[in-house]
Amino acid sequence: MNTVEIVSLMIIVVLIVGWRVTWLATRVDRANVRAERTWAVLDAALVRRAERALELLLVPGIDPATALLVADAANAALDPQLSRQDRERAESDLSYVLDAIGAMLPSESNRLESERARASICRRLHNDAVATALSLRRRYSVRLLQLAGHAAEPRPFEMADGLSQPVIVRAAEN
Amino acid sequence: MTGLRASLRVGIVCPYSFDVPGGVQNHVLGLARYLREAGHRPSVLAPGQLGPATEELYVEDFVSVGAAVPVRYNGSVARVNFGPLSAARVTRWLHKGKFDVLHIHEPITPSISLLALWAAERPVVATFHTATPRSRSMQLAGGVLRAAIEKIDAGIAVSEEARNVVVQHLGRDAVVIPNGIQFDDFTHRSETGVELMDSCRSTGSERARLIFLGRLDEPRKGLDVLLAAVPLIMKSRPNLELIVAGQGSRSLPGWCRSLGMISVETKIKLLRSADVFVAPHLARESFGIVLLEAMASGVPIVASELPSFLDVLGSPRDEQRLGEVFTAGDARALAASVLQVLDRPDPLRVTRAQRAARRYDWSVVGATVLAVYRAALSAAPARWAERRIG
Repeated sequence: MNTVEIVSLMIIVVLIVGWRVTWLATRVDRANVRAERTWAVLDAALVRRAERALELLLVPGIDPATALLVADAANAALDPQLSRQDRERAESDLSYVLDAIGAMLPSESNRLESERARASICRRLHNDAVATALSLRRRYSVRLLQLAGHAAEPRPFEMADGLSQPVIVRAAEN
Repeated sequence: MTGLRASLRVGIVCPYSFDVPGGVQNHVLGLARYLREAGHRPSVLAPGQLGPATEELYVEDFVSVGAAVPVRYNGSVARVNFGPLSAARVTRWLHKGKFDVLHIHEPITPSISLLALWAAERPVVATFHTATPRSRSMQLAGGVLRAAIEKIDAGIAVSEEARNVVVQHLGRDAVVIPNGIQFDDFTHRSETGVELMDSCRSTGSERARLIFLGRLDEPRKGLDVLLAAVPLIMKSRPNLELIVAGQGSRSLPGWCRSLGMISVETKIKLLRSADVFVAPHLARESFGIVLLEAMASGVPIVASELPSFLDVLGSPRDEQRLGEVFTAGDARALAASVLQVLDRPDPLRVTRAQRAARRYDWSVVGATVLAVYRAALSAAPARWAERRIG
């Protein structure tokens, strides 16, 4: 092999490796972005769920004990200062409370049911995005080349949805 | 966020040809109809032509990708498209449609679905029905397939079982949204519930009509088990009548009437005239849509004990179960279950089943699918968001 051949071979190898790395980096970036954006959507969905729960207080004839339970749980979930872990616990608690009072609710709470279903859908999309991002980040080549950059490692949001699956969204809400 | 209520352009990709009926095709048709009626603009890309089976699809909502080729894949015959010509057509459709959301059915099949997933630049929602490939073929297909799977923004599985396959084999997760039925089609016109209960009761020792719907020549649909069971039932029910309807040809015993492929109207009439609906499937049935249609029309159900059927009917030990189940493939057990249903009609159970089937009406299922579209759209990168703000 002469020098020209060796050099051109090296160039080809570098090009192929470079293309593979770029491709992988694109995938990692896409996965990171997806994890971040699905979190924003889940966050908003959880806030809407808690707000809908608070609307129960306006239902005529709701008894004070139930009202206090709901108000307390929804308020706790809406606290903006919560750490991630506390938020998970507060949202789960709200689910349990809503489940516990579910049978007593009037039919207009369909809106709440739909919001709960939506939050559950958003959570699944988020945790799915996180799993994809994490599995890419765990790859040897991704770690070696630090393709994930400085983006913080995403974490799944673990909470009790408290809904029986499959989830249902009522028609009027879309 | 008024934009969230705006009408959506939804590109729906169906990998299987509309020339033949099938679960995925029906699902796509029902979804397109729901979206259109809810004020959205669906466009369905699929092989084949609009035939009698597709009358519920608006003509302008359908784009054909050309004739499909029958190939064996994942244990059954699939009529699909592949190759550069199909890829070009898919790309053209995507380009022209400017969809807000792309909804791909059975994304991991060698078909226009995979081609569309590969070419997609929009938020992708993917529904997994049955044909999720074996891990081994996934491994062999390698990184390209992995990267394609990563492009799915939101996965939907039609049953808990289908979701498990997605989780285990693809390393992804999916929202479980069952298949939809046009509930009213199966119940309106007459007060079915009452009428059918009466016909059940009156049967006594007279005529008893068993119904089987599904491909006749595909072993996994289990027609053989049913054919083996009928003589056993006839010992105590000589006036038994078995009517089968579905694609495919095979030799059938003299006492079995075959209607071949039937229209939706005929199917509805047939279901209403039945005394027992039998679903003897052997395996790999990810979702029993015919089961739900039978439930909606108020026919008592006898089904094999597949996880996806149990999802719908409830556990066999449950007093409140909505139908009789038997061990898949066991003709003797099937016969016993059918006799049980014929000898002890349970009108309350039929009513309960009908009520349960209503939860699978497209008005409910479609709204949930839309919620997934909205979630995927909200999470989409900003450059896709103009429609969302719009």
